[in-house]
Amino acid sequence: MKAAITVKNKKKPRRLSQRLQSIGAVFLFFLVWEAVVRIANINEAFISTPSSAIAHLLFAQPDANYHWQKNISVTLYEFVLGFLFTAVGGTLIGILIGWSKTIQKAVMPLFVMFNSIPMVAIAPILLIWMGYGLKTNILIAFLASFFPMVINTSAGLASVEDDLLDLVRYLNGSKWQTFWKIRLPSALPYIFSGLKICTTLSVMGVIVGELIASDSGLGYVIVNAQLMMDTPPMFASLIMMSLLGWGMFLIVSIVERLAMPWAFKDEIQ
Amino acid sequence: MGKAKQVRVTGRVQSAVLRFIQKNGISILTVIILLIAWQVLVDALKIKKYILPSPKLILNTFIDPRLAAKNKWWRHIFATTSGVLGSFGLTIVAGVAIAVFLTWSKTANRLVMPILVLFNSIPKIALAPLFLLWLGYGVFPNIMIAFMVAFFPVVINATTGMQAVDDDLLDLVRYLNASKLQIFLKIRIPNSLPYIFAGIRTSATMCVVGVLVGEFIASKRGLGYLLRDAQAFIDMPTMFACLVVLAILGVSFFGIISLVERIVMPWRFTPANAGE
Repeated sequence: MKAAITVKNKKKPRRLSQRLQSIGAVFLFFLVWEAVVRIANINEAFISTPSSAIAHLLFAQPDANYHWQKNISVTLYEFVLGFLFTAVGGTLIGILIGWSKTIQKAVMPLFVMFNSIPMVAIAPILLIWMGYGLKTNILIAFLASFFPMVINTSAGLASVEDDLLDLVRYLNGSKWQTFWKIRLPSALPYIFSGLKICTTLSVMGVIVGELIASDSGLGYVIVNAQLMMDTPPMFASLIMMSLLGWGMFLIVSIVERLAMPWAFKDEIQ
Repeated sequence: MGKAKQVRVTGRVQSAVLRFIQKNGISILTVIILLIAWQVLVDALKIKKYILPSPKLILNTFIDPRLAAKNKWWRHIFATTSGVLGSFGLTIVAGVAIAVFLTWSKTANRLVMPILVLFNSIPKIALAPLFLLWLGYGVFPNIMIAFMVAFFPVVINATTGMQAVDDDLLDLVRYLNASKLQIFLKIRIPNSLPYIFAGIRTSATMCVVGVLVGEFIASKRGLGYLLRDAQAFIDMPTMFACLVVLAILGVSFFGIISLVERIVMPWRFTPANAGE
Protein backbone atom coordinates (compact mmCIF):
# COMPACT_ATOMS: atom_id res chain seq x y z
CA MET A 1 0.00 0.00 0.00
CA LYS A 2 2.78 2.40 0.90
CA ALA A 3 4.42 1.83 -2.47
CA ALA A 4 1.24 2.77 -4.21
CA ILE A 5 1.12 6.12 -2.43
CA THR A 6 4.66 7.03 -3.37
CA VAL A 7 3.95 6.10 -7.00
CA LYS A 8 1.06 8.52 -7.01
CA ASN A 9 3.08 11.35 -5.58
CA LYS A 10 5.92 10.80 -7.98
CA LYS A 11 3.84 11.68 -11.01
CA LYS A 12 4.43 15.43 -11.16
CA PRO A 13 8.12 16.25 -10.71
CA ARG A 14 9.55 13.81 -13.27
CA ARG A 15 9.05 16.12 -16.24
CA LEU A 16 12.59 17.29 -16.99
CA SER A 17 14.27 13.96 -16.43
CA GLN A 18 11.59 12.32 -18.54
CA ARG A 19 12.24 14.71 -21.36
CA LEU A 20 15.98 14.04 -21.20
CA GLN A 21 15.26 10.33 -21.23
CA SER A 22 13.13 10.69 -24.35
CA ILE A 23 15.82 12.64 -26.15
CA GLY A 24 18.33 10.00 -25.10
CA ALA A 25 16.14 7.21 -26.46
CA VAL A 26 15.73 8.94 -29.83
CA PHE A 27 19.46 9.63 -29.99
CA LEU A 28 20.17 5.97 -29.19
CA PHE A 29 17.82 4.88 -31.97
CA PHE A 30 19.67 6.91 -34.59
CA LEU A 31 23.01 5.73 -33.21
CA VAL A 32 21.93 2.09 -33.57
CA TRP A 33 20.66 2.78 -37.08
CA GLU A 34 23.97 4.39 -38.05
CA ALA A 35 25.97 1.56 -36.50
CA VAL A 36 23.92 -1.23 -38.10
CA VAL A 37 24.13 0.26 -41.58
CA ARG A 38 27.85 0.87 -41.25
CA ILE A 39 28.76 -2.48 -39.72
CA ALA A 40 26.59 -4.50 -42.10
CA ASN A 41 27.99 -2.33 -44.89
CA ILE A 42 24.59 -1.79 -46.52
CA ASN A 43 24.68 -0.04 -49.86
CA GLU A 44 23.40 3.54 -49.98
CA ALA A 45 21.11 2.55 -52.83
CA PHE A 46 19.14 0.58 -50.24
CA ILE A 47 19.17 2.66 -47.08
CA SER A 48 21.11 5.68 -46.01
CA THR A 49 22.72 6.38 -42.65
CA PRO A 50 21.33 9.34 -40.71
CA SER A 51 24.72 11.04 -40.84
CA SER A 52 24.93 10.70 -44.60
CA ALA A 53 21.45 12.20 -44.97
CA ILE A 54 22.44 15.20 -42.88
CA ALA A 55 25.70 15.53 -44.77
CA HIS A 56 23.80 15.59 -48.05
CA LEU A 57 21.65 18.34 -46.67
CA LEU A 58 24.46 20.50 -45.35
CA PHE A 59 27.37 20.04 -47.73
CA ALA A 60 27.64 20.15 -51.49
CA GLN A 61 27.98 16.67 -52.94
CA PRO A 62 30.54 15.95 -55.65
CA ASP A 63 28.28 13.76 -57.81
CA ALA A 64 24.96 15.60 -57.75
CA ASN A 65 23.44 18.97 -57.03
CA TYR A 66 20.14 18.81 -55.21
CA HIS A 67 19.40 22.57 -55.24
CA TRP A 68 18.33 22.42 -51.62
CA GLN A 69 17.75 26.13 -51.24
CA LYS A 70 15.35 26.32 -54.15
CA ASN A 71 13.50 23.09 -53.38
CA ILE A 72 13.14 23.83 -49.69
CA SER A 73 11.82 27.31 -50.34
CA VAL A 74 9.31 25.98 -52.88
CA THR A 75 7.95 23.43 -50.42
CA LEU A 76 7.98 25.95 -47.59
CA TYR A 77 6.04 28.44 -49.72
CA GLU A 78 3.42 25.87 -50.76
CA PHE A 79 3.05 24.54 -47.25
CA VAL A 80 2.74 27.91 -45.54
CA LEU A 81 0.20 29.23 -48.05
CA GLY A 82 -1.83 26.01 -48.06
CA PHE A 83 -1.87 25.97 -44.29
CA LEU A 84 -2.81 29.64 -44.02
CA PHE A 85 -5.71 29.22 -46.42
CA THR A 86 -6.93 26.29 -44.37
CA ALA A 87 -6.45 28.07 -41.07
CA VAL A 88 -8.31 31.20 -42.14
CA GLY A 89 -10.86 29.69 -44.54
CA GLY A 90 -11.56 26.59 -42.49
CA THR A 91 -12.09 28.53 -39.29
CA LEU A 92 -14.31 31.13 -40.97
CA ILE A 93 -16.48 28.55 -42.70
CA GLY A 94 -16.60 26.49 -39.52
CA ILE A 95 -17.88 29.58 -37.69
CA LEU A 96 -20.39 30.25 -40.48
CA ILE A 97 -21.69 26.70 -40.19
CA GLY A 98 -21.69 26.74 -36.43
CA TRP A 99 -23.61 30.04 -36.45
CA SER A 100 -26.98 28.53 -37.17
CA LYS A 101 -28.39 25.13 -36.36
CA THR A 102 -30.21 24.85 -39.70
CA ILE A 103 -27.13 25.50 -41.81
CA GLN A 104 -25.25 23.06 -39.65
CA LYS A 105 -27.86 20.37 -40.17
CA ALA A 106 -27.90 20.93 -43.92
CA VAL A 107 -24.20 21.26 -44.59
CA MET A 108 -22.45 19.27 -41.89
CA PRO A 109 -23.23 15.81 -43.30
CA LEU A 110 -21.90 17.02 -46.65
CA PHE A 111 -18.66 18.05 -45.02
CA VAL A 112 -18.43 14.79 -43.14
CA MET A 113 -18.99 12.96 -46.43
CA PHE A 114 -16.30 15.00 -48.18
CA ASN A 115 -14.07 14.33 -45.23
CA SER A 116 -14.39 10.60 -45.82
CA ILE A 117 -13.09 10.95 -49.38
CA PRO A 118 -9.32 10.81 -49.18
CA MET A 119 -8.53 14.29 -50.49
CA VAL A 120 -5.34 13.17 -52.19
CA ALA A 121 -7.60 11.36 -54.67
CA ILE A 122 -8.61 14.77 -56.03
CA ALA A 123 -5.00 15.56 -56.91
CA PRO A 124 -5.15 14.01 -60.43
CA ILE A 125 -8.32 15.99 -61.23
CA LEU A 126 -6.67 19.19 -60.03
CA LEU A 127 -3.72 18.38 -62.28
CA ILE A 128 -6.05 18.35 -65.27
CA TRP A 129 -7.76 21.56 -64.24
CA MET A 130 -4.70 23.56 -63.28
CA GLY A 131 -1.64 21.77 -64.59
CA TYR A 132 1.21 21.04 -62.22
CA GLY A 133 3.01 23.63 -60.16
CA LEU A 134 2.88 25.76 -57.08
CA LYS A 135 -0.82 26.64 -57.26
CA THR A 136 -1.91 23.02 -57.62
CA ASN A 137 0.18 21.87 -54.66
CA ILE A 138 -1.12 24.71 -52.51
CA LEU A 139 -4.66 23.71 -53.40
CA ILE A 140 -3.98 20.04 -52.62
CA ALA A 141 -2.51 21.03 -49.25
CA PHE A 142 -5.53 23.22 -48.62
CA LEU A 143 -8.05 20.52 -49.54
CA ALA A 144 -6.23 17.85 -47.56
CA SER A 145 -6.58 19.86 -44.37
CA PHE A 146 -9.66 22.02 -44.96
CA PHE A 147 -12.46 19.67 -43.94
CA PRO A 148 -11.05 18.56 -40.57
CA MET A 149 -10.56 22.24 -39.76
CA VAL A 150 -14.18 23.12 -40.57
CA ILE A 151 -15.53 20.13 -38.69
CA ASN A 152 -13.39 20.85 -35.62
CA THR A 153 -14.34 24.51 -35.53
CA SER A 154 -18.07 23.95 -35.80
CA ALA A 155 -17.90 21.08 -33.31
CA GLY A 156 -16.18 23.49 -30.94
CA LEU A 157 -18.89 26.10 -31.40
CA ALA A 158 -21.52 23.47 -30.76
CA SER A 159 -19.77 22.30 -27.59
CA VAL A 160 -20.93 25.23 -25.47
CA GLU A 161 -22.97 24.28 -22.45
CA ASP A 162 -26.65 24.96 -23.01
CA ASP A 163 -27.08 26.33 -19.50
CA LEU A 164 -24.50 29.01 -20.19
CA LEU A 165 -26.28 30.03 -23.37
CA ASP A 166 -29.60 30.13 -21.53
CA LEU A 167 -28.09 32.33 -18.88
CA VAL A 168 -26.76 34.81 -21.42
CA ARG A 169 -30.05 34.83 -23.26
CA TYR A 170 -31.76 35.53 -19.96
CA LEU A 171 -29.39 38.46 -19.44
CA ASN A 172 -30.36 39.78 -22.88
CA GLY A 173 -26.98 39.11 -24.49
CA SER A 174 -26.98 39.80 -28.22
CA LYS A 175 -25.98 37.14 -30.71
CA TRP A 176 -22.64 38.89 -31.23
CA GLN A 177 -21.97 39.05 -27.52
CA THR A 178 -22.82 35.41 -27.09
CA PHE A 179 -20.45 34.60 -29.92
CA TRP A 180 -17.48 36.69 -28.78
CA LYS A 181 -17.73 36.13 -25.07
CA ILE A 182 -18.94 32.58 -24.86
CA ARG A 183 -19.01 30.49 -27.98
CA LEU A 184 -15.67 31.50 -29.48
CA PRO A 185 -13.63 31.15 -26.26
CA SER A 186 -15.07 27.72 -25.63
CA ALA A 187 -14.42 26.72 -29.25
CA LEU A 188 -10.77 27.79 -29.11
CA PRO A 189 -9.41 24.46 -27.82
CA TYR A 190 -11.15 22.70 -30.70
CA ILE A 191 -9.87 25.24 -33.22
CA PHE A 192 -6.31 24.88 -32.03
CA SER A 193 -6.40 21.11 -31.97
CA GLY A 194 -7.78 21.33 -35.52
CA LEU A 195 -4.91 23.61 -36.52
CA LYS A 196 -2.40 21.18 -35.07
CA ILE A 197 -3.90 18.30 -37.05
CA CYS A 198 -3.84 20.50 -40.14
CA THR A 199 -0.10 21.17 -39.90
CA THR A 200 0.49 17.46 -40.51
CA LEU A 201 -2.22 17.16 -43.14
CA SER A 202 -1.08 20.11 -45.20
CA VAL A 203 2.54 18.95 -45.20
CA MET A 204 1.20 15.62 -46.45
CA GLY A 205 -0.87 17.34 -49.13
CA VAL A 206 2.10 19.31 -50.43
CA ILE A 207 4.26 16.21 -50.51
CA VAL A 208 1.69 14.12 -52.35
CA GLY A 209 1.27 16.90 -54.90
CA GLU A 210 5.01 17.06 -55.39
CA LEU A 211 5.35 13.30 -55.58
CA ILE A 212 2.72 12.99 -58.30
CA ALA A 213 3.73 15.87 -60.52
CA SER A 214 6.07 18.79 -60.06
CA ASP A 215 9.43 20.07 -61.17
CA SER A 216 10.64 21.41 -57.86
CA GLY A 217 10.21 20.97 -54.13
CA LEU A 218 11.28 18.32 -51.65
CA GLY A 219 8.82 15.74 -52.98
CA TYR A 220 10.37 16.20 -56.39
CA VAL A 221 13.80 15.58 -54.88
CA ILE A 222 12.49 12.32 -53.42
CA VAL A 223 11.03 11.07 -56.69
CA ASN A 224 14.20 12.00 -58.52
CA ALA A 225 16.35 10.30 -55.90
CA GLN A 226 14.26 7.15 -56.23
CA LEU A 227 14.95 7.05 -59.96
CA MET A 228 18.68 7.45 -59.25
CA MET A 229 18.56 4.85 -56.44
CA ASP A 230 20.09 7.48 -54.21
CA THR A 231 18.60 7.19 -50.72
CA PRO A 232 20.45 9.90 -48.70
CA PRO A 233 18.64 12.84 -50.33
CA MET A 234 15.35 11.04 -49.69
CA PHE A 235 16.01 10.96 -45.97
CA ALA A 236 17.42 14.48 -46.11
CA SER A 237 14.15 15.68 -47.68
CA LEU A 238 12.20 13.82 -45.03
CA ILE A 239 14.21 15.60 -42.32
CA MET A 240 13.47 18.97 -43.91
CA MET A 241 9.76 18.18 -44.27
CA SER A 242 9.58 17.13 -40.63
CA LEU A 243 11.27 20.38 -39.61
CA LEU A 244 8.72 22.37 -41.60
CA GLY A 245 5.83 20.51 -39.97
CA TRP A 246 7.31 20.86 -36.48
CA GLY A 247 8.01 24.54 -37.02
CA MET A 248 4.40 25.23 -37.94
CA PHE A 249 3.23 23.08 -35.02
CA LEU A 250 5.41 25.13 -32.70
CA ILE A 251 4.01 28.40 -34.07
CA VAL A 252 0.46 27.14 -33.59
CA SER A 253 1.29 26.08 -30.00
CA ILE A 254 2.73 29.52 -29.22
CA VAL A 255 -0.30 31.28 -30.68
CA GLU A 256 -2.49 28.90 -28.68
CA ARG A 257 -0.78 29.96 -25.46
CA LEU A 258 -1.20 33.63 -26.33
CA ALA A 259 -4.82 33.23 -27.40
CA MET A 260 -6.01 31.27 -24.40
CA PRO A 261 -3.66 31.85 -21.49
CA TRP A 262 -6.24 30.53 -19.04
CA ALA A 263 -5.77 26.97 -20.31
CA PHE A 264 -2.07 26.99 -19.39
CA LYS A 265 -2.31 28.53 -15.95
CA ASP A 266 -1.48 25.30 -14.16
CA GLU A 267 1.64 24.67 -16.15
CA ILE A 268 3.30 27.99 -15.41
CA GLN A 269 3.14 27.60 -11.66
CA MET B 1 -50.95 -13.75 -34.57
CA GLY B 2 -48.46 -14.14 -37.38
CA LYS B 3 -50.05 -11.19 -39.07
CA ALA B 4 -49.89 -9.06 -35.94
CA LYS B 5 -46.18 -9.82 -35.66
CA GLN B 6 -45.65 -8.91 -39.27
CA VAL B 7 -47.47 -5.63 -38.79
CA ARG B 8 -45.36 -4.89 -35.76
CA VAL B 9 -42.16 -5.61 -37.67
CA THR B 10 -43.14 -3.50 -40.66
CA GLY B 11 -44.25 -0.82 -38.23
CA ARG B 12 -40.83 -0.90 -36.62
CA VAL B 13 -39.11 -0.74 -39.97
CA GLN B 14 -41.35 2.14 -40.98
CA SER B 15 -40.63 4.07 -37.82
CA ALA B 16 -36.90 3.45 -38.25
CA VAL B 17 -37.10 4.79 -41.81
CA LEU B 18 -39.12 7.76 -40.59
CA ARG B 19 -36.62 8.48 -37.87
CA PHE B 20 -33.79 8.27 -40.39
CA ILE B 21 -35.55 10.72 -42.69
CA GLN B 22 -36.35 13.01 -39.82
CA LYS B 23 -32.76 13.03 -38.70
CA ASN B 24 -31.06 13.27 -42.09
CA GLY B 25 -33.88 14.77 -44.17
CA ILE B 26 -32.28 18.17 -44.64
CA SER B 27 -28.89 16.76 -45.61
CA ILE B 28 -30.39 14.25 -48.05
CA LEU B 29 -32.38 17.08 -49.59
CA THR B 30 -29.23 19.21 -49.84
CA VAL B 31 -27.37 16.46 -51.63
CA ILE B 32 -30.22 15.89 -54.09
CA ILE B 33 -30.60 19.61 -54.81
CA LEU B 34 -26.86 19.96 -55.34
CA LEU B 35 -26.81 17.01 -57.75
CA ILE B 36 -29.73 18.42 -59.76
CA ALA B 37 -28.16 21.88 -59.81
CA TRP B 38 -24.90 20.35 -61.00
CA GLN B 39 -26.64 18.46 -63.81
CA VAL B 40 -28.70 21.48 -64.89
CA LEU B 41 -25.74 23.86 -64.81
CA VAL B 42 -23.51 21.56 -66.83
CA ASP B 43 -26.28 21.06 -69.41
CA ALA B 44 -27.26 24.71 -69.57
CA LEU B 45 -23.75 26.13 -69.83
CA LYS B 46 -22.67 23.31 -72.14
CA ILE B 47 -19.58 22.64 -70.03
CA LYS B 48 -17.27 20.23 -71.82
CA LYS B 49 -17.07 16.84 -70.18
CA TYR B 50 -13.29 17.04 -69.86
CA ILE B 51 -13.73 20.12 -67.70
CA LEU B 52 -16.61 19.06 -65.51
CA PRO B 53 -18.66 15.94 -66.25
CA SER B 54 -22.33 15.88 -65.33
CA PRO B 55 -23.60 13.42 -62.70
CA LYS B 56 -25.33 11.49 -65.49
CA LEU B 57 -22.05 10.92 -67.32
CA ILE B 58 -20.37 9.88 -64.09
CA LEU B 59 -23.13 7.38 -63.37
CA ASN B 60 -22.80 6.18 -66.94
CA THR B 61 -19.25 4.94 -66.33
CA PHE B 62 -20.75 2.30 -64.04
CA ILE B 63 -23.89 1.50 -66.03
CA ASP B 64 -22.82 1.58 -69.67
CA PRO B 65 -21.56 -1.98 -70.21
CA ARG B 66 -18.85 -0.87 -72.64
CA LEU B 67 -17.45 1.79 -70.30
CA ALA B 68 -17.78 -0.42 -67.24
CA ALA B 69 -15.92 -3.23 -68.98
CA LYS B 70 -13.18 -0.84 -70.08
CA ASN B 71 -12.66 0.45 -66.57
CA LYS B 72 -12.63 -3.03 -64.97
CA TRP B 73 -14.21 -1.63 -61.85
CA TRP B 74 -14.24 -4.82 -59.79
CA ARG B 75 -10.60 -5.52 -60.37
CA HIS B 76 -9.55 -2.05 -59.23
CA ILE B 77 -11.98 -1.88 -56.36
CA PHE B 78 -10.80 -5.29 -55.21
CA ALA B 79 -7.16 -4.23 -55.36
CA THR B 80 -7.74 -1.05 -53.38
CA THR B 81 -10.01 -2.70 -50.85
CA SER B 82 -7.61 -5.53 -50.21
CA GLY B 83 -4.77 -3.05 -49.85
CA VAL B 84 -6.72 -0.97 -47.37
CA LEU B 85 -8.04 -3.95 -45.39
CA GLY B 86 -4.65 -5.66 -45.39
CA SER B 87 -2.82 -2.62 -44.08
CA PHE B 88 -5.61 -1.86 -41.64
CA GLY B 89 -5.57 -5.38 -40.19
CA LEU B 90 -1.81 -5.33 -39.95
CA THR B 91 -1.94 -1.93 -38.26
CA ILE B 92 -4.38 -3.08 -35.60
CA VAL B 93 -2.71 -6.41 -34.86
CA ALA B 94 0.81 -5.01 -34.76
CA GLY B 95 -0.32 -1.85 -32.98
CA VAL B 96 -2.09 -3.60 -30.15
CA ALA B 97 0.57 -6.31 -29.80
CA ILE B 98 3.34 -3.75 -29.51
CA ALA B 99 1.26 -1.67 -27.11
CA VAL B 100 0.87 -4.72 -24.85
CA PHE B 101 4.60 -5.28 -25.00
CA LEU B 102 5.33 -1.63 -24.22
CA THR B 103 2.97 -1.62 -21.26
CA TRP B 104 4.33 -4.93 -20.03
CA SER B 105 7.91 -3.72 -19.84
CA LYS B 106 8.65 -0.27 -18.46
CA THR B 107 12.16 -0.21 -19.93
CA ALA B 108 10.90 -0.96 -23.42
CA ASN B 109 8.31 1.73 -23.01
CA ARG B 110 10.89 4.34 -22.05
CA LEU B 111 13.16 3.34 -24.91
CA VAL B 112 10.63 2.92 -27.70
CA MET B 113 7.83 5.36 -26.96
CA PRO B 114 9.80 8.55 -27.74
CA ILE B 115 10.84 7.04 -31.06
CA LEU B 116 7.24 6.17 -31.90
CA VAL B 117 6.11 9.68 -31.01
CA LEU B 118 8.87 11.13 -33.17
CA PHE B 119 7.91 8.99 -36.15
CA ASN B 120 4.27 9.81 -35.64
CA SER B 121 5.01 13.46 -36.27
CA ILE B 122 7.02 12.87 -39.45
CA PRO B 123 5.28 13.08 -42.85
CA LYS B 124 6.05 9.44 -43.57
CA ILE B 125 4.14 9.42 -46.84
CA ALA B 126 7.24 11.01 -48.35
CA LEU B 127 8.98 7.66 -47.94
CA ALA B 128 6.56 5.91 -50.30
CA PRO B 129 9.10 6.00 -53.15
CA LEU B 130 11.62 4.33 -50.85
CA PHE B 131 9.26 1.38 -50.40
CA LEU B 132 9.03 1.01 -54.15
CA LEU B 133 12.80 0.87 -54.21
CA TRP B 134 12.77 -1.85 -51.55
CA LEU B 135 9.76 -3.91 -52.47
CA GLY B 136 8.94 -3.21 -56.10
CA TYR B 137 5.46 -2.84 -57.57
CA GLY B 138 2.22 -4.43 -56.48
CA VAL B 139 -0.32 -4.74 -53.72
CA PHE B 140 2.19 -5.76 -51.05
CA PRO B 141 4.31 -2.57 -51.22
CA ASN B 142 1.09 -0.57 -51.09
CA ILE B 143 0.07 -2.41 -47.94
CA MET B 144 3.47 -1.67 -46.41
CA ILE B 145 3.27 2.04 -47.34
CA ALA B 146 -0.19 2.32 -45.81
CA PHE B 147 0.95 0.36 -42.76
CA MET B 148 3.90 2.71 -42.24
CA VAL B 149 1.64 5.74 -42.47
CA ALA B 150 -1.19 4.39 -40.32
CA PHE B 151 0.64 2.31 -37.72
CA PHE B 152 1.79 4.96 -35.25
CA PRO B 153 -1.51 6.47 -34.06
CA VAL B 154 -2.80 3.02 -33.07
CA VAL B 155 0.30 2.03 -31.06
CA ILE B 156 0.53 5.35 -29.30
CA ASN B 157 -3.17 5.48 -28.48
CA ALA B 158 -3.31 1.86 -27.34
CA THR B 159 -0.27 2.29 -25.09
CA THR B 160 -1.67 5.48 -23.62
CA GLY B 161 -4.99 3.77 -22.97
CA MET B 162 -3.41 0.75 -21.31
CA GLN B 163 -1.46 3.02 -18.99
CA ALA B 164 -4.35 5.35 -18.22
CA VAL B 165 -5.77 2.88 -15.75
CA ASP B 166 -6.92 4.11 -12.38
CA ASP B 167 -4.09 3.41 -9.91
CA ASP B 168 -6.54 2.49 -7.18
CA LEU B 169 -8.07 -0.16 -9.39
CA LEU B 170 -4.63 -1.65 -10.05
CA ASP B 171 -3.85 -1.62 -6.34
CA LEU B 172 -7.09 -3.38 -5.58
CA VAL B 173 -6.52 -6.08 -8.16
CA ARG B 174 -2.93 -6.55 -7.08
CA TYR B 175 -4.15 -6.90 -3.53
CA LEU B 176 -6.47 -9.64 -4.77
CA ASN B 177 -3.45 -11.43 -6.24
CA ALA B 178 -4.31 -10.96 -9.88
CA SER B 179 -1.67 -12.07 -12.35
CA LYS B 180 -0.17 -9.70 -14.88
CA LEU B 181 -2.06 -11.47 -17.65
CA GLN B 182 -5.34 -11.07 -15.81
CA ILE B 183 -4.67 -7.39 -15.29
CA PHE B 184 -4.20 -7.05 -19.02
CA LEU B 185 -7.22 -9.03 -20.06
CA LYS B 186 -9.67 -7.68 -17.50
CA ILE B 187 -8.50 -4.15 -16.89
CA ARG B 188 -5.90 -2.72 -19.20
CA ILE B 189 -7.26 -3.84 -22.56
CA PRO B 190 -10.93 -2.97 -21.87
CA ASN B 191 -9.77 0.37 -20.52
CA SER B 192 -7.73 1.06 -23.63
CA LEU B 193 -10.53 0.26 -26.07
CA PRO B 194 -11.84 3.83 -26.40
CA TYR B 195 -8.28 5.02 -27.03
CA ILE B 196 -7.65 2.25 -29.52
CA PHE B 197 -10.79 3.10 -31.45
CA ALA B 198 -9.83 6.77 -31.55
CA GLY B 199 -6.48 5.66 -33.00
CA ILE B 200 -8.22 3.31 -35.41
CA ARG B 201 -10.37 6.14 -36.76
CA THR B 202 -7.29 8.22 -37.51
CA SER B 203 -5.42 5.34 -39.03
CA ALA B 204 -8.38 4.19 -41.16
CA THR B 205 -8.17 7.42 -43.16
CA MET B 206 -4.41 7.12 -43.33
CA CYS B 207 -4.62 3.55 -44.64
CA VAL B 208 -6.72 4.75 -47.56
CA VAL B 209 -4.36 7.65 -48.24
CA GLY B 210 -1.33 5.37 -48.03
CA VAL B 211 -2.76 2.80 -50.43
CA LEU B 212 -3.87 5.52 -52.85
CA VAL B 213 -0.49 7.22 -52.89
CA GLY B 214 1.17 3.86 -53.41
CA GLU B 215 -1.13 3.22 -56.35
CA PHE B 216 -0.49 6.70 -57.72
CA ILE B 217 3.24 6.32 -57.73
CA ALA B 218 3.58 2.82 -59.04
CA SER B 219 0.96 0.19 -59.54
CA LYS B 220 -1.00 -1.46 -62.29
CA ARG B 221 -4.12 -1.96 -60.23
CA GLY B 222 -6.40 -0.14 -57.87
CA LEU B 223 -8.43 3.04 -57.92
CA GLY B 224 -5.32 5.17 -57.56
CA TYR B 225 -3.93 3.61 -60.72
CA LEU B 226 -7.28 4.05 -62.49
CA LEU B 227 -7.30 7.73 -61.51
CA ARG B 228 -3.83 8.25 -62.94
CA ASP B 229 -4.68 6.23 -66.03
CA ALA B 230 -7.85 8.24 -66.62
CA GLN B 231 -5.86 11.42 -66.04
CA ALA B 232 -3.56 10.49 -68.90
CA PHE B 233 -6.59 10.24 -71.21
CA ILE B 234 -8.33 13.28 -69.64
CA ASP B 235 -11.23 10.93 -68.93
CA MET B 236 -12.96 13.12 -66.35
CA PRO B 237 -16.14 11.04 -65.88
CA THR B 238 -14.06 8.03 -64.83
CA MET B 239 -12.01 10.14 -62.43
CA PHE B 240 -15.11 11.50 -60.75
CA ALA B 241 -16.56 8.00 -60.65
CA CYS B 242 -13.39 6.89 -58.82
CA LEU B 243 -14.03 9.62 -56.25
CA VAL B 244 -17.60 8.40 -55.82
CA VAL B 245 -16.40 4.83 -55.29
CA LEU B 246 -13.77 6.03 -52.84
CA ALA B 247 -16.39 8.02 -50.92
CA ILE B 248 -18.67 4.99 -50.73
CA LEU B 249 -15.79 2.78 -49.62
CA GLY B 250 -14.74 5.38 -47.05
CA VAL B 251 -18.22 5.83 -45.62
CA SER B 252 -18.87 2.09 -45.37
CA PHE B 253 -15.42 1.56 -43.87
CA PHE B 254 -16.21 4.09 -41.15
CA GLY B 255 -19.68 2.64 -40.71
CA ILE B 256 -18.23 -0.80 -40.08
CA ILE B 257 -15.73 0.59 -37.60
CA SER B 258 -18.53 2.36 -35.68
CA LEU B 259 -20.54 -0.84 -35.68
CA VAL B 260 -17.63 -2.87 -34.33
CA GLU B 261 -17.05 -0.18 -31.73
CA ARG B 262 -20.63 -0.58 -30.55
CA ILE B 263 -20.33 -4.35 -30.40
CA VAL B 264 -16.97 -4.38 -28.62
CA MET B 265 -17.77 -1.67 -26.09
CA PRO B 266 -21.52 -1.96 -25.47
CA TRP B 267 -21.17 -0.19 -22.12
CA ARG B 268 -20.23 3.08 -23.83
CA PHE B 269 -23.43 3.09 -25.86
CA THR B 270 -26.01 2.44 -23.18
CA PRO B 271 -28.79 5.05 -23.19
CA ALA B 272 -27.18 6.84 -20.26
CA ASN B 273 -24.03 7.47 -22.29
CA ALA B 274 -25.71 7.91 -25.64
CA GLY B 275 -24.83 11.58 -25.74
CA GLU B 276 -21.11 10.93 -25.95
